[in-house]
Amino acid sequence: MSAGLLARIGLYAAIAAPLLRIAASDRPFLVQVAIGTAISAILALAWDILSRTGQVSLGHAAFFGIGGYGSALLTPVLGPVLGWTVGILLCGVVALLLGAVTLRLRRLYFTIATLSFSLSIHVVILVTPGLTGGSTGIMPPVIAGGSPPLQLLFITGCLVVAAVVSDVFLGGRFRPAFFMIRNNPDLAAASGVPVTRLKILAFVVSGMVAGLAGACYCGLYGYVIPDDVFTTNWNVLPLAVTILGGMDTTLGPVVGAVVLRLLEEVARHLVGGVGYQVVYGAVIILFIVGMPEGLVGFVRRLIRSRRRQAAEPGQASAKARLAL
Amino acid sequence: MTAAIIQAVLLSLTVAALYAAVAAGLTLTVGVTRIINFAHGEFVMLGAFLTYWLYTRFGLSPWLGMLASGVALGLFSMLVYRGFLARVLKQDEHNQLLATLGLSILILNIAIILWSPDPRVMQAPALLPSAQFAGVTIPGNNIVVAIVGLLLFLVMLGIKNHTRYGTQMRFASDDPALAMHAGINVDRIFELSFVIGGAAAGLSGGLVALVLYVQPTVGVDLVIRAFAIIALGGLGNIPGALIGAAILALVEGLISTFVPGGGSWGFGVAFLILLLVLLVRPSGLFGKQVHA
Repeated sequence: MSAGLLARIGLYAAIAAPLLRIAASDRPFLVQVAIGTAISAILALAWDILSRTGQVSLGHAAFFGIGGYGSALLTPVLGPVLGWTVGILLCGVVALLLGAVTLRLRRLYFTIATLSFSLSIHVVILVTPGLTGGSTGIMPPVIAGGSPPLQLLFITGCLVVAAVVSDVFLGGRFRPAFFMIRNNPDLAAASGVPVTRLKILAFVVSGMVAGLAGACYCGLYGYVIPDDVFTTNWNVLPLAVTILGGMDTTLGPVVGAVVLRLLEEVARHLVGGVGYQVVYGAVIILFIVGMPEGLVGFVRRLIRSRRRQAAEPGQASAKARLAL
Repeated sequence: MTAAIIQAVLLSLTVAALYAAVAAGLTLTVGVTRIINFAHGEFVMLGAFLTYWLYTRFGLSPWLGMLASGVALGLFSMLVYRGFLARVLKQDEHNQLLATLGLSILILNIAIILWSPDPRVMQAPALLPSAQFAGVTIPGNNIVVAIVGLLLFLVMLGIKNHTRYGTQMRFASDDPALAMHAGINVDRIFELSFVIGGAAAGLSGGLVALVLYVQPTVGVDLVIRAFAIIALGGLGNIPGALIGAAILALVEGLISTFVPGGGSWGFGVAFLILLLVLLVRPSGLFGKQVHA
């Protein structure tokens, strides 16, 4: 147990250390890239938590946006700490309601319902200009006085929090129940797993973590319009990041965010303009065909087959080759 | 006022036929293969560009252009299926979803790079004369869209319910393993449904070129609407999709006509309605109610 805990603290340190190193460096561009990557990773962790119960959402931009807008609008009223807390709790409440509504929906219906939800919230923002600024947007208070290195420090802290939450739901208490719900909900219910309660719990936690990512994002520059947060891009990104990195892990979404951002920057440098989006699409396709279980899953399988090879040489190598 | 309402309703109904045309192919593909194909919108976009070019470069009548786009996109779908989607078929749902999203992003952005994001108008003479109805005028091209859209729908329905392939498709979708034991080539049937869906996308792209701007992003909103229509009507339920299309287009059309500034968000209200419908009927208005 304590060895496991130590490994986990090591993981958090491994995630945080490079980010802190970048924050201490004097390279503004790198700091901005690191901030963007960390926010993607938080959003992807949120999505992954929900997906462990078999709920494949295509509407996480809604929570991303509600978290951002909520914290931004409440901070002037309640102060930063309470403002963010209430903003993120609001995401939890919305997720509770949406989770209860979509509980019975299967596959296509669930995906379309979550997508519809994010589009509907966008409309709510547009038709209430008195409260939310409508299409002209709002001016959220900036995090850490607008100093990028300090912002990165803060967001790194948020990422570690998200990683801890993700690990809690991968621990012995939730992991078996979540995966049983995903693979066979009827069997889970028959075995005494509180399916409804856990599915909604996953939704609430996922919504709140996504809201945290949104709050970080909106606090970066002090100006946000609805099209910045309620876009399809934020609906698709957590899927891409998580699946490329490796689902059902804490490391996967983080690795996915880094790799995707690296490829994006390289593509932007080489191709420029909109060209990098082509690379984004191509990378997704290549990964799905070549590494359907993501980078972390791929490396794990590689290690496992190596170990087996070492244990029983000869016969195992043929098996390993077959498996790959 | 009444004339304005009648005009808005009639125009919305022709738009509904366009949505239905886009959804027709998709509901067949999704109903059989269970792959949520987001790239269907880009297939429609490619069909629209093809019809546009065949007219502007070679003067080919949009009637023939539509058919040519249907054939071309059918073949393209076959390539996509064999080269890529067949490999994804046995993966988990989230991977399938991301795979088609990736495909959609790829095709969309290649189109933006090659052809620029600018909207184009196909200035073809109207294929049919405009019609007067209860004091309002309906443009000829909208009538074409309504007729062809409905025809496309009926053809999809006919294929699914009244052909040998349709029977095999329904069997293969209900129970792939059993269908295989019964001697049905399930892979082939899946491919066939994908190719027919792609051909329908190409043809409805021709309709898009008649009444909307031809631009790379035209398929993005259309495919989201098509999925909403399918979910409203019930997965694989083709007449249900027709009613879903009418509801969506009417809500959207009436709001954008009569609510000030509604043009930018009428689209979203339709999705609010979808959410409410799914709350009461988790498998859509006419879908089979499956116990979860």
